[in-house]
Amino acid sequence: MAREPLDLLQGTLDVLILKTLSWQPMHGYGVSRWIRQRTDDVLAVEDAALYQALHRLERRRWVEAEWGLSENNRRAKYYQLTAEGRKQFRAEAATWRRYAEAVFKVLETA
Amino acid sequence: MATIPGLRRTFRLPWRTRAQVAHDVDDELAFHLDMRAQELAGQGVPAEAARAQAWREFGDVEGARRALCAADARWERSTRRADRLDELRQDLRYAARQLRRSPGFTTVAALTLAVGIGATTAIFSAVDGVLLRPLPYADADRVVALWQSDVAEGVERADVSPGNFLDWRDRSRATDGVAAAVPFGFDLTGADGRPETLHAWLVTEGYFEVLGARPLLGRTFLPEEYAPQGQTAVVLLGYGLWQQRFGGDRNVVGRTLTLDRRPYVIVGVLPPDVRYPAERDLWAPTAFAEEDRRVRSGGYINVIARLQPGVTVREAAAELDAIATQLAREHPRTNEGVGVTVVPLREQVVSEVKPALLLLAGAVAFILAIACANVANLLLARGSRRRRELAVRGALGASRGRLVRQLLTESALLAALGCAGGLVLARWGIDVLLALAPVDVPAGQVGLDLRVLAFALAASAVTALLFGLAPALRFSRADVRGGLREGARGGSGDLAGRRLRAALVVGEIALAVVLLVGAGLLGRSLFSVLRVELGFRPENRLAMQVFVWDQYDQPPQRVAFFEEVSARLAALPGVRAAGAVSALPFLESRIDIESPFRIDGRGESTAGQEPRAYATVATPGYFPAIGMTLRRGRLFEARDDAEAPPVALINETLARRYFANEDPVGKRLVLSVTGRPSPREIVGVVADTRQTALEAEPRPELFVPHAQSGFGSMTIVVRTASDPRALVDAARREIWAVNKDLPIYATETLDGLLDASVAGRRSSVQLVGSLAVLALVLAALGIYGVVSFLTGERTHELAVRVALGARPRDILALTMRDGLALAVVGLATGGAVAAALTRLLRSQLYGVTATDPTTFAAAAVTLVAVALVASYLPARRAVRVEPTRALQAP
Repeated sequence: MAREPLDLLQGTLDVLILKTLSWQPMHGYGVSRWIRQRTDDVLAVEDAALYQALHRLERRRWVEAEWGLSENNRRAKYYQLTAEGRKQFRAEAATWRRYAEAVFKVLETA
Repeated sequence: MATIPGLRRTFRLPWRTRAQVAHDVDDELAFHLDMRAQELAGQGVPAEAARAQAWREFGDVEGARRALCAADARWERSTRRADRLDELRQDLRYAARQLRRSPGFTTVAALTLAVGIGATTAIFSAVDGVLLRPLPYADADRVVALWQSDVAEGVERADVSPGNFLDWRDRSRATDGVAAAVPFGFDLTGADGRPETLHAWLVTEGYFEVLGARPLLGRTFLPEEYAPQGQTAVVLLGYGLWQQRFGGDRNVVGRTLTLDRRPYVIVGVLPPDVRYPAERDLWAPTAFAEEDRRVRSGGYINVIARLQPGVTVREAAAELDAIATQLAREHPRTNEGVGVTVVPLREQVVSEVKPALLLLAGAVAFILAIACANVANLLLARGSRRRRELAVRGALGASRGRLVRQLLTESALLAALGCAGGLVLARWGIDVLLALAPVDVPAGQVGLDLRVLAFALAASAVTALLFGLAPALRFSRADVRGGLREGARGGSGDLAGRRLRAALVVGEIALAVVLLVGAGLLGRSLFSVLRVELGFRPENRLAMQVFVWDQYDQPPQRVAFFEEVSARLAALPGVRAAGAVSALPFLESRIDIESPFRIDGRGESTAGQEPRAYATVATPGYFPAIGMTLRRGRLFEARDDAEAPPVALINETLARRYFANEDPVGKRLVLSVTGRPSPREIVGVVADTRQTALEAEPRPELFVPHAQSGFGSMTIVVRTASDPRALVDAARREIWAVNKDLPIYATETLDGLLDASVAGRRSSVQLVGSLAVLALVLAALGIYGVVSFLTGERTHELAVRVALGARPRDILALTMRDGLALAVVGLATGGAVAAALTRLLRSQLYGVTATDPTTFAAAAVTLVAVALVASYLPARRAVRVEPTRALQAP
């Protein structure tokens, strides 16, 4: 952790959450851990922001939540993608890819 | 993991409260923090430090918690609202489908409700426009009308004499102004030179300030304009005259009218609703002179007063009572027993129409209740056919509340249809009402406005609850298994339901009986009134009132005028007789002179205790002209002139009261008014006549020959051979041939006057009668419905009976018994209720008691007849049942 973690760009967190949930339903802690591991701690995802994003996505009906039992038998809130959320994820992922490619091209040619 | 995809969307999960939302958020965050701390502890971090790190990594825990709770709670609320709306839409769609599926039921139910709501709305619009609307005057609750009461005569509200008005005004401290209005006629000389009488109020200083009225255009009168012989004469136009004669021209202020051959400047126009004491053409200022203070007997003015702020009607009445007592002491001859009646203006204005309107309001409330009972009955009958459907919905998880809501939505939709139809009927009903109404209502005051619309909507909502709630509660109590099992047989054997339906029909019949009895009593009263012995013959009689005081200032001239006019009129082809009289029966502008008298040869009575009679001046031709019957002696003749010995005629009431055991003919009376106070010889006795109202008992009256009086305010009466209207022009020409400048104040036929006098009674009978017929029809529908339903339920049983040899007559009797039983119970209930309620009608009854057995019997017979017909129709269907078919059916 020598380098400063990068701040998240606007809207990035939503895509990351949708991507995470596209594997399987997960509770908030799971999402948090998954993102941290996948980005090797490069992205600074603050949990407070993560939960607010999760609830926001729930209100938009891109994800839906059910209470279930966790691995250690505790009551936990599980999130899963809705059909609409899956569609939204595909659209945003494509946008992100195009965006990243464009930025990358600029950086390469410079 | 215990989640099923889409669970929440498939089944409605219960709504979370704000506390539950917070609890969920807390659980979720606590879970996260614990898991993270555990993970760190697993990596060897000490427990305390692990917790601290978990919190630190999380960021602002408290802030996140608050934000999450707030956002989630908001979301929860908005989704709940959306879902509710969604549910309502579903219910409405479903209800609409249900109603469309049974068009017969829907039409009958909606029409029934339309009749109920329409009638109620029409009457409400009248009640609202006439009784509830605030008076158009400033601080109107401080304005009162003052009347003279007379203990001896049992009169509460009599016109006031000028003397009493002046003393009340000068001595009262509780009032902030007392003013008077005096009826008056102005002769307007129009463009064609033909004189015409305009009806006016002469008002005393401060009248409009006391009333609290503002003019529509211009101004009211200035203080100096009230002074007698003011520099310029001024008038205010009434709204009606302004519209008719000036076409509503706004530039009319400042123009001049020639009234009584004198120019009057128009200073303003009054709005249509400023009309107390009554609508008239003109308003002009006047003042009483000091000598008017002596005029105390015989009232003719309307008095109003404005109470001081904070003074109650009761306090003002107490003060005026004390003043009246002083006046009685000061003027015992005229004021003995004369009191003051203080009536709040609002009460004064509505008192004439209030009983009739309240009667109608009660009657339409009955109609609405009957309509509700009928529709509830239809719903119950339908509901027992729908039990299966409701049981299925219940089995699929619809809660009872949800079922009630859905059934009520159906009712509300029906009520909405009824409301729409009702408004159409109400529009028409209001026209009928205004056409029948005997009282004049200011234009535009009664109609379908927003308040009335709101009332109709509220009435519909209440109606929907009334007729929908009982069935909804009944059928939502879904005994699921029973409903499903019994469903196959269409829900027979439902005892409680049958009782409820029977009770509803009994209630309807009872209400219909009450209305029938009420209408019957009013009808019989009208009949009695119309059969009252008039004492004269009204048919083919033309009457024209003239005031000749200004044209002829000497009595002999006036006598000559009426002699000539009578002779000319009598000579007209088609005229049988002609004469003139000071007080024509039933004419509103008749001149009533009440006078104390003394019988010659008997001792003086004490002041205030003298015999009193109404004195009427008549020409010899009057008696044959109006068809009055002579009982004894003779009528007036040409020889009873100014030079001849004074004579008088008396009526039977006077004869009975003051000459109980002797022959009055030849006796002599001394009058204190009309002509010389010398004794008059009674030359004859005439039959009693009704004078002001058919219901008013005859009063003691005496007649004086016009030739010995020369009275100037007379009504010319012409007896014609055929329709008197055809002779109006010819008669006017004869009058104008004698004096071309004489205005004719009122032209009437006696038949017309009599009709007008019973118009209120007649319209009450018509309106209540139609409502009673409506109630009867609705009740018949109810009986028909219940008997049809019961018979349908018994098809199986009846078929068995037929198979076992029952004759059609037996089946008919068996089924009709149901309808008749309902009718009898309803009749008994209704009879009892009617006996209690008709007491309220007593003031409007005449010649019939409130518990008139004939009326009650007639209502009972009518109702039983209707019940027989209503139950015969379904019973006849039962008779035609084919046993084989019916027994094979499941």
